[in-house]
Amino acid sequence: MTGRRPAGGESARKIAVLVGAAILLLWTVFPFFWILLTSLKSPGDMLSVPPKFVFSPTFDNYAALVMGEQRGDYASTRPDFPRFFLNSIIISFGAVALSVAAGIPAAYALARFNFPGKDALAFVFMSFRFVPFIAFVIPLYLLYQKIGLYNTHGGLILAYQLITLPFTIWMLRSFFQEIPSEIQEAAKIDGCSWLGVLTRIILPLSMPGIAVTVILGFIFCWNAFNYPLMLAGRQTFPVTVGAIQFISYEQVLWGQMAAATIVAALPQLILSLMVQKYIVRGLTMGAVK
Amino acid sequence: MSGKVARGRRRRETLLPYLLLTPALVLLCGMIYPFCLGLYYSFTSYWLQYPKRFRFVWFDNYVSLLDEPLFGRALEFTLGFTVAAVVLQVGLGLAIALFLHGRIPGRGAIRAMMLLPLMMPPVISALMWKIMMASTNAGILNYMLSFVGVDPINWFGSTRGAVASVLIIDTWGNLPFVALILLGGLQALPSEPYEAAKVDGASPFAMLRYITLPLLAPFLILTITFRTMDSLRIFDVIYATTLGGPNDATTNLHIMAYQYAFQWYQMGKGMAQAIVLLILVVMVSYLLIRLWNRSAESNAQ
Repeated sequence: MTGRRPAGGESARKIAVLVGAAILLLWTVFPFFWILLTSLKSPGDMLSVPPKFVFSPTFDNYAALVMGEQRGDYASTRPDFPRFFLNSIIISFGAVALSVAAGIPAAYALARFNFPGKDALAFVFMSFRFVPFIAFVIPLYLLYQKIGLYNTHGGLILAYQLITLPFTIWMLRSFFQEIPSEIQEAAKIDGCSWLGVLTRIILPLSMPGIAVTVILGFIFCWNAFNYPLMLAGRQTFPVTVGAIQFISYEQVLWGQMAAATIVAALPQLILSLMVQKYIVRGLTMGAVK
Repeated sequence: MSGKVARGRRRRETLLPYLLLTPALVLLCGMIYPFCLGLYYSFTSYWLQYPKRFRFVWFDNYVSLLDEPLFGRALEFTLGFTVAAVVLQVGLGLAIALFLHGRIPGRGAIRAMMLLPLMMPPVISALMWKIMMASTNAGILNYMLSFVGVDPINWFGSTRGAVASVLIIDTWGNLPFVALILLGGLQALPSEPYEAAKVDGASPFAMLRYITLPLLAPFLILTITFRTMDSLRIFDVIYATTLGGPNDATTNLHIMAYQYAFQWYQMGKGMAQAIVLLILVVMVSYLLIRLWNRSAESNAQ
């Protein structure tokens, strides 16, 4: 009797663990699963009560998304989704490239030199992580209207620096600091200039870190919604603002919106699995490694 | 001669970091300039539709907030939502972290899956849940709830439903952030205190209360800090689902400032509200960062 009780406790524990894991998985994954199903439904299946799990799938929602024109009994898709997708790629690449170009020397300076105002400067960059976007977007909107940057890729790339530049500098700094300073000193004794140290030692050694920073920066740009909402127009909307265009006063195009969310999410899902070890570090700007 | 060269080199060494920082500083100016411009606008009666009324009004925009009934309600929702979201997410996140810290089969896979909601654009998560939260019976969430005897909930049309839905969507996206940081913290804890406690015959609950939580404090405060600051200025999820409604039930300061500036084009007033929100965020983050420093210090001792 006493010998069996621990065994019973053990299997009860196992069942509890399985139930817990199942709930966690369901909560995490079910929304993706359901949106995928929704994106494959025809309008009739979409509104059925109760919701259908089994139906004959159709790719019409995706086709409508890609072609952006009238198809059968589907309402025409006014949102031009292929263009939004391209816009997201252009703006995100541009913003990350600019941030990395300016961020590498800045991070090197903050990681390896001592100079007055260093900590204050690092803190100023960090503080942009927590600023309410509306405090920047109101003046940027007025300014961009005046100088012609409104509804341009260039203007958005500049505005996105609020997202990517502080992040890039802090991430790169934390990667640069991981390189032992002895290697640097040795190179200096061998006659390397600061440029030599940077290009021959720091950059090659921190290539993985730079790659992670680029990918995470790209993800954060792809996620951005509120800056382009106010600073972009129909020609420059990224996918995040594009997906919301399926809601209008007359109707919500549920199927196409579901397809749009899947398409908008796909790059994120792939990229974040690529850098999964570094995501927490990226989200805390290097504070947690 | 050689002294001159050395001095020249030293001067170059002191100037070098500033030179390296120049491109970033130029971009920084590109951020600070519009902010200063906005700060100036917050002291003016800038109204896009009536450009002729533009004048400097000192603190009028700030003072008039006190007479604005919506401001009080938005402030209340901002703070209430933040407290609710942080308590919910840190509480559940700690539970998930402790759960995954135990020997769970397939932990790596669960961890990887939890990254997916975390890395989704918040507005896309909001749209996904918006589809699931359709108020008719065609909504999958209401359908699932009907099995446990819950009547269909009017998610975005009722006050309580709207508040709950914003909270649920925000939690879905950010719970993994808390859980993953705390899990990392748990895995970095030393094992000696637990072995000593086991020898003394401490219960698992006592170990959690007197060993785990105190040692985890820096991580807890870090997640609380990040989640608090993000919850205070939540925008995307509310915009994509309720737009502050119904009856302003989910209007926080961020949404309110947006409405003033971009629906009614009162740029001066909107900017003043943005500054008030900014001050709130700065004050709260200052307190939390001080708390974090103190807990990190006491742990180091």
